[in-house]
Amino acid sequence: MTPGLEGRSGEGVKGLWLALLALAGLLLGAGLQQRYDTTVRYFGDRDAFVSLPAGRTIKTLSFGYHNLAADLLFIWSIQFYSTPQIRNRFEFLERVFAAITDITPSYRDPYIVGAMIMVFEAQDVRMALRLLEKGARYNPDEWRFEQEAGFYAFKYLKDYSLAERYYSRAAAKPDAPVYVKRWNAHLVYLRDDPALATRMWLDIYRNAQDTLTRDSAFNHLYQIKAEADLPKLQGQVQEYRRRFRRLPAALADLAASGLAPELPRDFAGKPYLYDPGSGRVTAQRIFNWKKKR
Amino acid sequence: MNPGIRGIAVNTFRESARNKMFYLLVFFGVLFALSSRLVSFLTLGDAMKVLKDTGLAAINFFCVLIAIFTGINLVYKEVEKKTVLAILSKPVRRDEFILGKFLGLALTMLAALAAMAAIFFAFILLNGGGFDWRILLYFAMLFLELLVIIAVSLLFSAFTTPILAFIFTVSLYLIGHVMWTYNEFKALLRAPAMKVLSEILYYLLPNLDKFNIKNEVVLGTAPGAATILYTVLYGAVYTAALLALAVLIFRRREFQ
Repeated sequence: MTPGLEGRSGEGVKGLWLALLALAGLLLGAGLQQRYDTTVRYFGDRDAFVSLPAGRTIKTLSFGYHNLAADLLFIWSIQFYSTPQIRNRFEFLERVFAAITDITPSYRDPYIVGAMIMVFEAQDVRMALRLLEKGARYNPDEWRFEQEAGFYAFKYLKDYSLAERYYSRAAAKPDAPVYVKRWNAHLVYLRDDPALATRMWLDIYRNAQDTLTRDSAFNHLYQIKAEADLPKLQGQVQEYRRRFRRLPAALADLAASGLAPELPRDFAGKPYLYDPGSGRVTAQRIFNWKKKR
Repeated sequence: MNPGIRGIAVNTFRESARNKMFYLLVFFGVLFALSSRLVSFLTLGDAMKVLKDTGLAAINFFCVLIAIFTGINLVYKEVEKKTVLAILSKPVRRDEFILGKFLGLALTMLAALAAMAAIFFAFILLNGGGFDWRILLYFAMLFLELLVIIAVSLLFSAFTTPILAFIFTVSLYLIGHVMWTYNEFKALLRAPAMKVLSEILYYLLPNLDKFNIKNEVVLGTAPGAATILYTVLYGAVYTAALLALAVLIFRRREFQ
């Protein structure tokens, strides 16, 4: 073999080895990456969070690019908090979102997304409420923060008074949609204030612009009235039975006997239903909103 | 316009426009502004806000770089190559020379900014956004800020080396963007002399944060007419003062 050919063949072998080495490296890297993804990680570098400067400091150090700094920190937090392998990732959650919202207090998304992470991932509703309250403080015309806070208080804390307070503040904001007002009135109903609930639902009913709102208001007004009338009628049936030792044959007997001077009707204007066999008074439709709690 | 100033300005514009560094920075400015689409993919909520934030920040950053890098060399290069002697031997006064240099670079910046702004507007439209006059207002404010930066770099370029001029200009740029914290800093001072000094510095240093309306623009608000008017006047007066100072220094310089 000529020396030139020998050299070329040697180059070829060397090239093959290098290609094999590259392939092996890539395969090994892929394997390691797979192993890495399945490991449970703890965020060991706590210093990164402990030394995370306050929002004002980041704002100062960003030299006029604070919007970008807030965006980048927010985007990083979304990626970080959606990595379930990092088990202790929520330790500095409040601090991170405090920093982001201090940099640009009028940037709305971090409040909403931060509160979602706090409730659904970290399961700390109170922390979410603090963040949303901060959002409402800095953006007084925005209804979303208090609406979100009201929903979390209702759904996860089951604190209907607190939820109602949030919804009432949200509903009072200039651009609050009608469903926030409906929620507010529903919560007033749930916390057993029928007089106020009736006033609020009547207002919604009279000003309703769509069928959904009108139907919802009608159903609530129907339910509130039925909840007030039915126990009263049921009591009068029992009183009738005590006096006459039999059940009334119809509700009209209550009026005839003088026990009920005037028989109430449901919100639709129809008489309530009566079963003479059992003596039970019911309405045509009854919603179990309170029982669902 | 004075023919001396016009001649210098046109030449400065041509010279800057021939500079490869200028095109490179414009290219990167556009590239980074367009890459904001990638960043916006990673966010939750209002992606358009992130797109505008990142794009405007990229344009802002690269325009400032162009202004500083071109500005610091403006006078120094002419002195170093001794071309200043040839220019000043003609019927061109020193103040005309400085003003011409300033206007030439201002024109260059206007061209660069207009190109970047046009691409950015098209990019926003392609990504489903609409034309927003607030962004136009932002670019106008950025141009004013660039005029101040050009004047600062020109001032330093009139009496020192490009490296020192770069350090001084960048320092003033950074200080100018943290002026909103200055009042708190002043409150920490106890000695009366320091208080007076800090008060003087407060009015002496450029308050570049006045021109920064990125936050308002991306959140769909805008500063009031009075704020805009005061900012425009501030930019004009401050630039004029810096140019006067640059002329004063340049008139006293001796060339060998």
